[in-house]
Amino acid sequence: MNAQQQLQHLYWRAGFGPRPQDVAAGPSPSKALRQLLHEARAYEPIPSASMAAFQDPMGAVMAVPAGVPTPPPGSMAAGPAAAPPAPASSAQPGTADPASPTPPLAAVDALLPRAMLAPRRQGLPQLRRADLTPEQRKMQNQGIRDAFIGMSTAWMDKMTTSPGQLREKVALFWHGHFACRTRRPDDSLALLNTIREKALGKFPDLLLAVSQEPAMLQFLNNQQNRKEHPNENFAREVMELFTLGRGNYTETDVKEAARAFTGWGYDGQSRFVFRERQHDAGSKTLLGQTGNFGGADALRIIMQQPAASTFLVTKMYRFFVSDVPDPAHIAPLAVAFRKSGYDVSDLLERIFSADWFYEPANTGSLIKSPVALVAGLRRTLNLKVDNDKQLLGYQKALGQTLFMPPNVAGWPGGRAWIDSSSLLLRLQLPSILFKNAEFAVHLKDDENDITPQTTGKERLVKNTETTHLPLGPMQQLLGSAPPEQQPQLLANFLLQAPLRPENLTLVQQAAAKAATPEERMKNTLVSLLSLPEYQLA
Amino acid sequence: MQRRQFIQASALASTLLLVPKFLYAIDRPENRLAARLRDAPGGAAKRLIVVQLGGGNDGLNTLVPYRNDLYYKARPTLALREADGLLPLGDELALHPAMKGLKGLFDQGQVAICNAVGYPNPDRSHFRSMDIWQTGSGSEQLLSTGWLGRYLDSTCAGGAPAYQALEIDDTLSLALKGAQRNGLALKNPGKFHQLTQSRYLNALSQEKGVGAPGSELDYLYKTLAETASSADYLYEKSKIHSSAATYPNTDFGHNLKTTAELITSGVESRVYYLALSGFDTHVRQHEQQGRLLGELSDGLAALAADLQKSNEWNNTLVMVFSEFGRRVGQNASNGTDHGTANNVFLLSGALRKPGLLNQAASLADLDQGDLRYQLDFRSLYASILTDWLGADGQLVLGPGVEKLAGLV
Repeated sequence: MNAQQQLQHLYWRAGFGPRPQDVAAGPSPSKALRQLLHEARAYEPIPSASMAAFQDPMGAVMAVPAGVPTPPPGSMAAGPAAAPPAPASSAQPGTADPASPTPPLAAVDALLPRAMLAPRRQGLPQLRRADLTPEQRKMQNQGIRDAFIGMSTAWMDKMTTSPGQLREKVALFWHGHFACRTRRPDDSLALLNTIREKALGKFPDLLLAVSQEPAMLQFLNNQQNRKEHPNENFAREVMELFTLGRGNYTETDVKEAARAFTGWGYDGQSRFVFRERQHDAGSKTLLGQTGNFGGADALRIIMQQPAASTFLVTKMYRFFVSDVPDPAHIAPLAVAFRKSGYDVSDLLERIFSADWFYEPANTGSLIKSPVALVAGLRRTLNLKVDNDKQLLGYQKALGQTLFMPPNVAGWPGGRAWIDSSSLLLRLQLPSILFKNAEFAVHLKDDENDITPQTTGKERLVKNTETTHLPLGPMQQLLGSAPPEQQPQLLANFLLQAPLRPENLTLVQQAAAKAATPEERMKNTLVSLLSLPEYQLA
Repeated sequence: MQRRQFIQASALASTLLLVPKFLYAIDRPENRLAARLRDAPGGAAKRLIVVQLGGGNDGLNTLVPYRNDLYYKARPTLALREADGLLPLGDELALHPAMKGLKGLFDQGQVAICNAVGYPNPDRSHFRSMDIWQTGSGSEQLLSTGWLGRYLDSTCAGGAPAYQALEIDDTLSLALKGAQRNGLALKNPGKFHQLTQSRYLNALSQEKGVGAPGSELDYLYKTLAETASSADYLYEKSKIHSSAATYPNTDFGHNLKTTAELITSGVESRVYYLALSGFDTHVRQHEQQGRLLGELSDGLAALAADLQKSNEWNNTLVMVFSEFGRRVGQNASNGTDHGTANNVFLLSGALRKPGLLNQAASLADLDQGDLRYQLDFRSLYASILTDWLGADGQLVLGPGVEKLAGLV
């Protein structure tokens, strides 16, 4: 493996792929790693493009525009449209400006920072979901869906353009690790921003912050965890999925930890609260230690278990290095991780600078997730996208929707991404995006609980020409190489697996069909990106 | 998401009393039958069609307890009455007025109905509950493979082709994803074939032995080659027979027709998977559910007639399920909210025991306003896997899942 392949390997694993300009500069992998770590230090929250001004602690309520008659409680809400049509949310990522005046009771509203949202929430009318008219309910669902779309495209945009590649890639890992789905876009976004903020710090800080996020408390039922009626869901997942893994705790530990977490909840404005009267202040014995533990104590005790470092390092190894964990690599990493107080940056630096990380067995050996595939296409090609909402449709068709992990264990990943349909779509995606190849996929009925009843038309993903492929950066990478060498040079940049002679011939045939040098380049790119090899990083 | 609580032994024991003895009778040795089913040539083998009603179909207004006061009390305006045109199946239960097609099949002994099917600690979230039904897990379990995917895994020793399980759709459901093998999704054999026919993809799919054996690259090329050859096979076969029967002119109707055409053309697929969605009837349930049940019933009746004509109906078993039923009481919007246990319909020309197989869930003994389940859905799966498909139910569902004897 030459230096360029090593460098690209680093960019694929620590981020969403290399740009031609990254490779053209030709830094050593170690210098590039220092740069990646440096650039990842800055943190900015993701603004939400749009957010329904829905209300209520249980996620069951919406704000109703002023002047709209609300049905009396208990009435049959089947009448004609009571609410005006919901304005389509058209705000783009980055355009939400908290300072600009917005109509106070608009049905769909620019997202404000949580702190600013709180006082507004109090002033809005509260409605039970059951009391909504069908039209209001539809409007509410539409608002929620728009908000999730806005958040997803904003994050995808960060993955594609942010210099803080490492932060976004690690956040994607934690997003699957702390898998969580809610109906509340604001809570989901708050959880994501917490994860992004603390992604590269000390793991116990991340764990504590995530554990106090309303989205997680709601998803894992800790809101229902009270002294008299403990709910063990959160305590169990913390140990099974977040920190220790099965076999490293007992059923008694789950029960005792659940007692420690009693009283952890959130209030009507989605703020963490400790409800002291619901807390079991008695003595607990957790993982061999006894005391009047609270939730933070429980997390601290869990993180004292040696199993935690092995479990976490193994999971990160599978995401960043290889689906086949090598105990000879894991064991020393786990020791160092623990010694550092679970410093995630330190761990990643050790992984990305290890000799074995650049060995052939660990390069070009991971199947890209749908999010990594799409973000990678955009980043490595400097792609401009008019309608990035459409790209979410492809991600969904390929099996990965941000904020909607399949269950509490997150996306299984690896070969689970691939079946006949998803592979065909993956191989055709470049033609769809860059050559407007005909394509239409009916997504399945939204199986999430936000919009379970979308129409067939709403679920149809069709190609529309919305991408712009600039050829300049790629031409710069090629320099003055003659046309017959270009396919191989482009393959060296785009593929992490060697280009086989048969495929080189196929790519050359596709290139030869072109009438102009630009078209030749485009054909070469599309045919390289359509290879099974491109599915690997 | 609530999981991990286990049903108390006493509660399970008491619900079992409501299940007729024949369903849990000790099974006679059927190893020979299983072997025969397994080894039968594709054409003669039995096949399964799974129909998934997405959104949580209201079982109480599908199979209506029309002589039960508690039903009418719980649903003052939503309840269906005899005057609405209910189709009685006996003294206690009647089909929704829109289900004339299914009623006809019932009268011919081609429908069996399992009541109060569910599982301990039901989950009321669509996605989680569908996950449970598609993976065949308990509510306390997380599985990343589907029950039909594991069926493919369990039969893959003989190198079963990818088209052994087909989903008539653009994307593949978790139900058909195994650890080793996946089913194959296609909406239309012609279009699917067309996709693999670009010169470029076609050339790629011919490449053999790419990447180290067992590597990810090897896996990708193998999947591509299988996809292309399956597309060829399905396209060529599907040209053999096109159905002249009339199906509902809806997406679901078209998918049923495609299914019947593939079967009649002699496609050697053992499993077909179809979905009909839109059953999440929180508001104005009447019109929406009526339309969907009509579509379901007309479609299934057309399918049965079509397959009867080609002598394939006796080899076919249809199972219709939904991820949950609705709550017993209606809500304030003339709809129903997410509930629990539900009925499952089985259809075939060769049912061992047609009719109503067990009592409906009690409306007098509710669990916080929800129906209590009597039959675990995994028992149905076990019976179908073992007695219909000739597979090893234990291998697919794990130990401890009891099959229902004499079901299929």
